[in-house]
Amino acid sequence: MFGYIMPEKPELKIKEYDIYRAYYCGVCKSIGKRHGQIERMTLTYDAAFLAMLLCSTLNIETKLVKESCIVHPIKKSFVTYNEIIDYSSDINIILAYNNIKDKWEDDKSKVALVAMAVLKKSYKKLMVEHSEKCAIINKRLGDLSLLEKAKCDSIDAAAEPFAKLMEEVLDYNKLDDKTRQVLRWLGYNLGKWIYLIDAFDDLEDDIKSASYNPLLTHFKYNGSGDGISEFKNQIRGQIEFILLYCLGEAAKAFELLATNENKGILENILYIGMLSKTDKILCKRSCGKGEKSV
Amino acid sequence: MVKVKNPYEVLGVKQGASEEEIKKAYRDQVKKYHPDQYQDNPLSKLAEEKLKEINEAYEYVSGKGQTTKASNGWSGRSAAAGSQGSQGSQGGDESFKQVRMLINNGNIADAEALLESIPNKNAEWFYLRGLLFMKKGWYNEAVMNMKQAVNMDPSNYEYRDALNKMNANSNVYRGNANNRGYGAGPNFCDMCTCLWCSDSMCECCGGDLIGCC
Repeated sequence: MFGYIMPEKPELKIKEYDIYRAYYCGVCKSIGKRHGQIERMTLTYDAAFLAMLLCSTLNIETKLVKESCIVHPIKKSFVTYNEIIDYSSDINIILAYNNIKDKWEDDKSKVALVAMAVLKKSYKKLMVEHSEKCAIINKRLGDLSLLEKAKCDSIDAAAEPFAKLMEEVLDYNKLDDKTRQVLRWLGYNLGKWIYLIDAFDDLEDDIKSASYNPLLTHFKYNGSGDGISEFKNQIRGQIEFILLYCLGEAAKAFELLATNENKGILENILYIGMLSKTDKILCKRSCGKGEKSV
Repeated sequence: MVKVKNPYEVLGVKQGASEEEIKKAYRDQVKKYHPDQYQDNPLSKLAEEKLKEINEAYEYVSGKGQTTKASNGWSGRSAAAGSQGSQGSQGGDESFKQVRMLINNGNIADAEALLESIPNKNAEWFYLRGLLFMKKGWYNEAVMNMKQAVNMDPSNYEYRDALNKMNANSNVYRGNANNRGYGAGPNFCDMCTCLWCSDSMCECCGGDLIGCC
């Protein structure tokens, strides 16, 4: 996960903001308790969304406790704990480990090697605890790296493994079949959106480092002519269409879930946060690096 | 999900809401889960169930009289939408009909295998391939195939309609987001333009809004 799934803070109520933070901090502290303090640095917003979505689907009431935190030692803030939060923190570690492993295989950076060593112990433990999920996630990431090596030129084919991976992540197996079917379609579309928005976001870097990027191969970027900004202008419309289609399908799936708890926050993320992220990355609304953390 | 739901909750209104409120909520819900919205979506069956639940809830909440009419109205339309899809093979050969049937039954893998085995790659072939990609979530391939179908047979209403619907779909999402407050409030540029326009229009009519220009 890459942290693209965020709420639109100005549109949240203050109460909702506190609850969102409680989930975010809950996942962070759960990582600390279950895996270790340094591992907390891998936390992403996506994991907080996963926790909140599943809790809402399972109708788990949000119980807030006020605690202090080593990151902000003086100010106490709200936190919430439950088994879903633990599940999300496990998934966060599994994906973070694989992400770092992928980085190390790409560029052999020492930083990645150290990070891998730190996460290795927790990852091994999780491979036993979530053996099924880990096996599928590994399979999908294996498919992805094969496609990348073959320089796959279909956007949809390249995005498929990650979409299928997210489908698996959202499919929490204690739910009934119908709900799981809906969650899988929601996950599939979120995964596709994440993969493609990340590909668009990385265009400049991938050109510089001559790395694989499905958008470069699909639209046959040849490096000549007016360069990257012209290339982006040419493909922007089509990419926007696909990204919004994914979000539209994800939203349709979401509307079929029996969510009650924290519905407003989830709607904020799915309808406003992710659209605003899309617009920002496609550089439609305001260009610039003015991204603020939540 | 199995438990019996409170019909007011299903409609998203408070118990004791006025007739107008109930009607509006019902209309909004029907719009949201309408078969047209979920036409090429793998969750269409679940959306149909949800719509049924909403219809039943509305029937319960508002008393029998008018509701049978309303619920029949919608279910009638949904059946029409379904049959439209299966009738559509204008003069196509037997295998295309079979592919359509497999798609309607949700048997995507078999439909795909059968379609790939058909050597005659005409407009209908590309249209069906587009439909299959749609169901799989391969939106880019879907659009490319649909466009190909429309290019090969520009006069076919079914193909053009499918392509238009796809294009409309992402606008629906943006519309929903706008309704929730995304992008609300004019930006500075809009306000200036608005003032400038108003001023010009006033001047056209002989008046003036901003005295200095």
